[in-house]
Amino acid sequence: MSSDPRYLPVVRGAIGPLAAAMGWDESDSRAITLALDEALANIIRHAYHNCLDGRIELECRETPEGLEVTLLDNGEPPDRTKICARAIACDQPGGLGTHIIKDVMDTVSYQATPMGNRFVATKQFRKPI
Amino acid sequence: MKISIRDAGEAKIVEVEGDVDLGTSPDLRRTLFEILLHAPKLALNLAAIRYIDSSGIATLLEVLKDSQRRNKEFVLFGLSPAVQQVFRLTHVIRIFQVFQTEEEALGSA
Repeated sequence: MSSDPRYLPVVRGAIGPLAAAMGWDESDSRAITLALDEALANIIRHAYHNCLDGRIELECRETPEGLEVTLLDNGEPPDRTKICARAIACDQPGGLGTHIIKDVMDTVSYQATPMGNRFVATKQFRKPI
Repeated sequence: MKISIRDAGEAKIVEVEGDVDLGTSPDLRRTLFEILLHAPKLALNLAAIRYIDSSGIATLLEVLKDSQRRNKEFVLFGLSPAVQQVFRLTHVIRIFQVFQTEEEALGSA
């Protein structure tokens, strides 16, 4: 997909039913959808600085343990010092998305690779949200 | 996303319908900031919101802070289970005045 927020509803429309088909209930499916939407929004805002013509590759893979999602982009690498840097439960806007991702998903990793920035998040079947 | 505005005495009721996300939250932000200039109280109906992300929550936080700075009132009502879930995940629910119905929201002053 291109880094255009217009495509976010399209992805949400795919992820929710995918999570439901894999067995998560409505609440968990919504949370997984939200977490992945937040990850994509972070790439659009911070890696591509809201430019609409960046490229994002999204891969969802079913594993024996659950769901593994990989996002690849060629924008600016994430600043690790700013990921979840602000304490949640604060009245300051900004930075909420990374907390949502961390809370919803079981594992989250950010890597800079020769192919670009690589975000991988997994969700295991057993953990309730 | 659709936004509609109506009067309720001196207060303004803003109804939002659809998805509030990275693409649409700037429009919501602009609208709420503008309305807050002209009304002592703004009540936001979230009942018809299908989806809200952290940019939407951040927008509401910004409007709340602006309302406090201007000594005005900004309240929320009609949160669906989906919207409540996002408020819970972002741990901001206690920061807002949240009501179930429009009547309760308007009677909160």
